[in-house]
Amino acid sequence: MLTKQNVVNTGKQGAVNMKRNLTITILLVLTAMLLAEDIIIESYVDKTKIGLQDQLKYTIEFSGEKAGEIATPDIPEIDNFRNMGVSSSSSSSYSIVNGKMTSKIRKSFAYILQPERTGNYIIPPITLKVKGKTFTTQPIFIKVVAGTTEPLPKTSRQLSRNDTSGKLEDNLFVLAEVDKKNIYKGEPITVEFSLYTRYDPYDINDLSFSSEPVFNGFWNEISFRAKRIGFSSAMLNEQRYHKMPLIRIVLIPTRTGKLEITSLEMLVDVRIQSTSFFDFGSTKRYSIKSKPIYINVKELPYENHPEGFSGAVGKYTLSSSVSDTELKIGDSFTYNLSIKGTGNLKQFEVPALPEIKNLRFLDPEISTKINSDKKTGTKSIKYLVIAQEKGVFNIPPISFSYFDPYQKKYIIKQTREYTLNVQEGDMTFISSSAAQSSVEREGDDIGFIITNIKLKDNPIYFDEFGYWLIWLLFILLLLVSYIYANERQKLSGNLDYQRQKQANKILRKYMKTAADHAGKGHIEFYSAAQLGLSSYLADKLKIPRGSSTDQLLTEVQKKTDSSAISEKISSLLEKCDQSRFMPGGFSSNNIENDFIFMKEIIADISKTKI
Amino acid sequence: MKKLVLILLIISFSLLLIGELKIDKVFQNALNEYETKNYENALRDFLSIENEGLINADLFYNIGNCYFRIHQIGRSILYYKKALEIESDHASARKNLEFALTLTKDKQETSSEDVIRSFWEKLFDSLSINLLAVIALMIFGLIILLTCFMIVFYRNRERTVPIFITTVLIFFLLIFLLLGFLKWRAYHFLNEGVILTPSAIGYSGPSEDFTRVFTIHEGMIFEIEREEGNWSLIKLPNGLGGWVHKEDFELIKL
Repeated sequence: MLTKQNVVNTGKQGAVNMKRNLTITILLVLTAMLLAEDIIIESYVDKTKIGLQDQLKYTIEFSGEKAGEIATPDIPEIDNFRNMGVSSSSSSSYSIVNGKMTSKIRKSFAYILQPERTGNYIIPPITLKVKGKTFTTQPIFIKVVAGTTEPLPKTSRQLSRNDTSGKLEDNLFVLAEVDKKNIYKGEPITVEFSLYTRYDPYDINDLSFSSEPVFNGFWNEISFRAKRIGFSSAMLNEQRYHKMPLIRIVLIPTRTGKLEITSLEMLVDVRIQSTSFFDFGSTKRYSIKSKPIYINVKELPYENHPEGFSGAVGKYTLSSSVSDTELKIGDSFTYNLSIKGTGNLKQFEVPALPEIKNLRFLDPEISTKINSDKKTGTKSIKYLVIAQEKGVFNIPPISFSYFDPYQKKYIIKQTREYTLNVQEGDMTFISSSAAQSSVEREGDDIGFIITNIKLKDNPIYFDEFGYWLIWLLFILLLLVSYIYANERQKLSGNLDYQRQKQANKILRKYMKTAADHAGKGHIEFYSAAQLGLSSYLADKLKIPRGSSTDQLLTEVQKKTDSSAISEKISSLLEKCDQSRFMPGGFSSNNIENDFIFMKEIIADISKTKI
Repeated sequence: MKKLVLILLIISFSLLLIGELKIDKVFQNALNEYETKNYENALRDFLSIENEGLINADLFYNIGNCYFRIHQIGRSILYYKKALEIESDHASARKNLEFALTLTKDKQETSSEDVIRSFWEKLFDSLSINLLAVIALMIFGLIILLTCFMIVFYRNRERTVPIFITTVLIFFLLIFLLLGFLKWRAYHFLNEGVILTPSAIGYSGPSEDFTRVFTIHEGMIFEIEREEGNWSLIKLPNGLGGWVHKEDFELIKL
C-alpha cells in the first residue's frame, strides 16, 4: 500500500524517476511474499491410540528461514484433554543450490496432553496467527483406551504372584485413607494419602503432585509431607505392596453435612527396564489420582449440653495449679490452668474465670502447644492475679466441658478449689499501668430520695402575675425615661422656660445669703435681697435682667391687677437703695424686720399668677 | 372593725402555719420510713402531702422512688415524668427515669439517634421553664435599660454600637421567649400518659371488637391524641397509633 502510494506521488513528479521506482517497488513486494510463504506449518502426534494413563505428545512445527523467531503459540483448550505443558526445540539446516545458500530452520512446540476419559476424540484444527498470517492445522483423530498402551514396567520380583494383574491401576495407585468417616463437627480426623505400588521401588524415579486435594468445610493442617522417596512394605486387601506415605493432614470439620475430600493427582516417573542388551530402558510418566472421599459430619447433640460449653471436642484432661496461697497485699501469683488431650485444641475458648472481689485477674496468657501429629497437645492458660485486700479468698472450682465423640456425650471436668490467705503487706503499690483498672459499675439502682425539700409549690413564672408585672415595670421605665428625655429637650430648647424654671432656684440662692446676712445684722443683706428679688422677678416676668425698678414694677402691676404687691416690692427695693447710700443707718433689728418683710413679699408673689 | 380584720388575719395565718408544720412532720415521718425501708408507709405519707395540693418536683421524685421500691415501675415512671414536667432539668429524676425505663418490657428510646435532634432535646431539657422565664426577663430588662440609656444620654450622638447590641439582644429574647412558650404549651397542653397495668392492648377503634394493633406493657410512655368515651387514641413513640382503654393508663398531669 505504502509503496503504491509512493508510485503515484513520484509519477506526478516525472516519468524518468517513475520507471526506477517501479522496479524497486516490485522487488520489495516480491521479497515480502517470499518471506511470508517461507513458513510452513505442520502438526502431528506421537501416537493415535493411547491409554488413559499415558500422555500424548502433540507437536506443532514451523519451518522456514525466519521460523526461529516464532514465539510459543497459545493453543486453545482441547476438549477431553488437559494441557500439561509445552516444550520447544529448534533445528536448522543449510543447503547450497546453484551456488546459492539457503538456510532452513525448524521450530517445534511439543504440547503434553493428558486424556481425561476413554473414547474417540479429535484434536480439532487449530488456527494460529504467526507473523501476521493465519495458519490452520489439520485435525487429528485419537483413540483413548483404558489403562495404558505402553509396555508396562515389570512388577517387583518379590511381590510377583500368579494372580498379579498386569494392569497399571492395580500396580500403581494413590490411596486416601481416613481414620473415621462418620464424625461430629469439631472432631479431628486424619487423612493420609499414600502411594502403593508393586513395581520395584528403585524404578520409581520421580514424583510430583499435579493437583492437591481441596478441603472445603474443614480446618486443615498438614502434619506430614514426604520429602524424599522411601517405600516400605505394607499389606492391603491381603496383598503385599510397596507403600510410600505422601501426605498426612489433620482435618477438623467446621460445617455439618456430607463433605468431600477431593482427589490428589500426581505424576509418577517409572523406569521401564531394558528387555535386551541393546535396550537401555526408558522412563515413562504416569498420571494417577486418588478417589474422592466423603465424610459425614454430624452436629453435636444439643441435649444435655453443659453451660459454658465452648465447642471443645475430643478427649481432654484438666489440671490447675496456684503458685502461692500465702500472700501479702499487692503480691501477685499465677493461676495455671492446662487442658491436655486430643481434639480441636485451637478451636475452643478457654473457660472463663469467675470474678472474685479484691483479687484482680490480669488478662490471661494463653498458649497452645500442638504436637507434631496436629491432634494432641496442651492448652495452657496463665492468669496473673494481684491480691488487693487482706482476707481469705476462695477461688472456686473452674469447670471445663467437652464433647467426647467416642462416648458420644458431654463430659465436665473441674479443677479443685483454692483458698488464698492474704495478709497485710507493706502496701507497696504496683505502679505499672497494666495493674491499674478504671472503676467499674458493680450495680445499678435508682438514686436516693431528696430529703431537704422546701415544701413549697413550684410556681410556673409564666403563669404568675408578678412576673408579668416586672415586664410592665420595665415598659413603664421606658416610658418614664422617654418623658424625662423629652423634658430635657424642652429645657435646653426654650430659654424663657428655662429661666422661669430656674427663677426659684436663683431666688433661693439669694435668700440664703440674705438670710445669712440678716442673721448677723450685716448691711450686705440689702444688696443680696435686691439682687435676688429683681432677678427672680425678671426671670418670672420674662423681661431682661437688669431692667429698671420701674419697669419691673409696671410688669408686676400688669400681671397682678393690684398695686398692693408692687407697692410692697417698691418699698423694699427703696430701702435697699437707701442702704447703699447710708450704710450706717440700719440697725440689726431693722434688717431682721426687713428680712421678714421680704419673705412676706415672696409669699405674696407665689400666690399671684406670676 | 380594723381590729376584727387583724384578728382574722392572725388566725388564718397561724392556721396556715400549723398546716405547714403538720405537713413538715408528715414529710419527716415519710423520710424516716423510707430510710428504714418501709416504702409502703413512706409512700402513703408522701401521697398525703401530694393530696394537700402541693406541686413540687422533689416530692414527685420521692414518690417515684417509693413506687420503684415497691416494684410499681409504671407509677414510678409516671411520677418521674411529673417531676420532669415541672423541672425538666431535674437531674436525679431524669437519671432514675432512664434507669426505670430500662426495666420496662417495651423498648423505649430515651434519646434520639439524630445528633442535631438530640442536641436540641438536651438543650430543651436542660433549661427549665422557670429558668427560661428568668433569662427572658433579664434579657428584656437589659434591652430596656440599653434603650433608656440611648434615649436619655445618646440623644445627639452616634448610636451604631448600642443599636447593634440591642438588636442582638432582641434576637436572643425572641429565641428564649419561643423556647419558653413551647415549654409552657407542653406544660399545659401536652397529653402524655403512662401504662400502669401489666399490659394493655391497642385496638384500631374505641372498642374491643376492633382489630388488635399492638400490645404494650407497664411503663410505656405515649401521647394521647383523642378521647372517645372510655377509650383514648394514643400514639406510641415509634409512630404506632391505637385505642387503649382509659383504665390502663394515667395521664401525666399535675
